[in-house]
Amino acid sequence: MNVGIPGGLLYFRYGKLWSSFLDALGVEVVESGETTRSILSSGVSKAENESCLAVKVFYGHVMALRDEVDALFIPRLVSVKKRTHTCPKMLGLPDLARAATEDKLPIISPTIDFQKGLWSNYRAVYSTGRIFTSNPLRIIRAGIKAWGEHRRYLEKLTQGLEPRHVLNGEESENLCEGRELRIGVIGHHYNVYDTFTTMSLLDRLKGMGVDVITADMVPEELREKALKRLPKYIYWSYEQEIAGAILACTQYGLVDGIIFMISFPCGPDSIIRVICEHENKMMGNIPMMTLIMDEHTGEGGFLTRIEAFVDMLRRKKRRMEETEEMEEAVIPA
Amino acid sequence: MMITWPHMGSLEVVLSSIFEELQLDYMLPPPNSERTLDLGARHGPEFACFPLKTTLGNFIEAIENGADTLIMVAGKGPCRFGFYAETQRRILMEAGYDFRMYQLEFEPRMIPNTIRNLRILKQGRSWMSLVRAIKFAFAKGEVIDKLEQQALRQRWMDRDKGATTAALKKCYEMISGAGTYASLSRVEEEAFKSMLSVPRVEREEIKIGIVGEFYLVLEPFFNLNVEEQLGDLGACLERSVYFTDWLRPSTENPISGHPASESEEAARPYLTHFVGGEGIQSVGHAVIYKRLGFDGVVHLMPFTCMPETIAKSILPRVSQDVGIPVLSLVIDEMTGKAGVSTRLEAFVDLARSRRRAVDIKPQLQPTLT
Repeated sequence: MNVGIPGGLLYFRYGKLWSSFLDALGVEVVESGETTRSILSSGVSKAENESCLAVKVFYGHVMALRDEVDALFIPRLVSVKKRTHTCPKMLGLPDLARAATEDKLPIISPTIDFQKGLWSNYRAVYSTGRIFTSNPLRIIRAGIKAWGEHRRYLEKLTQGLEPRHVLNGEESENLCEGRELRIGVIGHHYNVYDTFTTMSLLDRLKGMGVDVITADMVPEELREKALKRLPKYIYWSYEQEIAGAILACTQYGLVDGIIFMISFPCGPDSIIRVICEHENKMMGNIPMMTLIMDEHTGEGGFLTRIEAFVDMLRRKKRRMEETEEMEEAVIPA
Repeated sequence: MMITWPHMGSLEVVLSSIFEELQLDYMLPPPNSERTLDLGARHGPEFACFPLKTTLGNFIEAIENGADTLIMVAGKGPCRFGFYAETQRRILMEAGYDFRMYQLEFEPRMIPNTIRNLRILKQGRSWMSLVRAIKFAFAKGEVIDKLEQQALRQRWMDRDKGATTAALKKCYEMISGAGTYASLSRVEEEAFKSMLSVPRVEREEIKIGIVGEFYLVLEPFFNLNVEEQLGDLGACLERSVYFTDWLRPSTENPISGHPASESEEAARPYLTHFVGGEGIQSVGHAVIYKRLGFDGVVHLMPFTCMPETIAKSILPRVSQDVGIPVLSLVIDEMTGKAGVSTRLEAFVDLARSRRRAVDIKPQLQPTLT
């Protein structure tokens, strides 16, 4: 039996966990790989007009796998942290996939919900394992192994490696190596790390001599601490990370500028954007640019904006250094 | 302290009844208009959902007219509605308006905060009188909902177009004038009598259900009077959510007749998990309406609404599976009235011809054998 894992949405975060879990159970895992133009266009034609770009890409991945696999593995992540939810689209994701494949393909969708405590999650994982093997020990061992792999994967992301290099096991340059400028590229995993829809933004920034900090690379304690500023608790799991990262970047001056990546029309991000821009303005006003991507985004316009933003930051930094030098020159005299 | 709140269907009657009972100052924002929409869209975030923009527009117009205390409900998600108040507070602050905003949250953890806010809002009136006022206002809301339901069921038979709507408007006034439970029940009786006495003509019946996001279903100005338009086209209507259904903590015995558990059960083959807002109810009600022999379902959603986007992705599948036509109307500040009217007309025609086809079939069969 071979099982397909669509390479969109949460794959950028949990792909390693899922594939190594299924792998350890002796399942042949088929991945749809990186987004391509044909995946995007098939997704756009299949998905609902109003869904966000990331969901459209996800549909494309599902379509790409549809004829090659016996089943699809699409977990339903309801909540990954106490008192939070994921985005409604993720709550309904297996049902969306079922509607998209017209019920022709079985979909394995364990429900992970940390509001309900550990036991129900254990049961969800265990019953998924039982589909493939009747040996309980093997399921538990696979779970432990997959969790370890997942931790190592996330650890590498916090060190500044890109997911596709980590997943392929390639050596690569670190995103943050002490180059001239440092920019925070903050957004959902699937918005920041998807090389096709972001038009290899991370590589381009590296090429311009810019260090990149992603939300993963901002230490969790700083994120949590920065979030305490907000009067209202953010109830979306991944938005907490994003808002925390942006606020920490401004509060502690971790970066020279922030690029906030949003896919059109992301619901939670539209709210988080207002809150972050407002807080940023009140705190210290680090230059912040919001890039909104959809399937019509042209490469030319996209590049121009990034180049202009980087140039602006560079000039700002140089001017600040010059004034500092001048002040230093004045003091001895 | 001049209290105000955004428009939403019969909310104005219910809340003004509370404040009048407590003899507190309040003012309604100017009626919804193009300007409300303009203001909301100008200040609001680009792809925030439509109700956020319209209620923001209400707030701005109310502040311009002298209100300084805004009331807004907040929540715990996963729908964006829970964050409206916080977002709007920041936007209004940035735009330089002078106001206080009180957020009422009913999540257990936030109850102390809500009680604190209510204490400020009630300005020294006793808690008992507040509870009494709320209870009475709720009773009024229920009467209004029942009348609206009656209007939906009878508008299609009107001899003179608009007669039911006019009668309903008169009923609203009668109800807001009622001061005691006794007078309320008298008014209810009278109102039903006046509704039922609207002259009728015999017509060919078709039944259409309205499902979707509650704000758009409840707010006639922004759903472009879908209910009236459909009624005038000759459709007997039923809708999935009424104002007090949405307000009531328990989901049993709603005015709409189908408790949440029933619609979740009906949605199960297509949507198995709560997705926030009314997503699952929209899918479930479409199935229920088919079971009840309806001829079509109109699905209303604001542009970018997350739960309804999921419902919209799944509804075509439901429609194919159970065999009921579904028309999804996505509404935002760009939606034109003519476009919606044309689509509604076409949809009613389609539903009617389907009904005729079904009615004719049994007559054909005997001649064939």
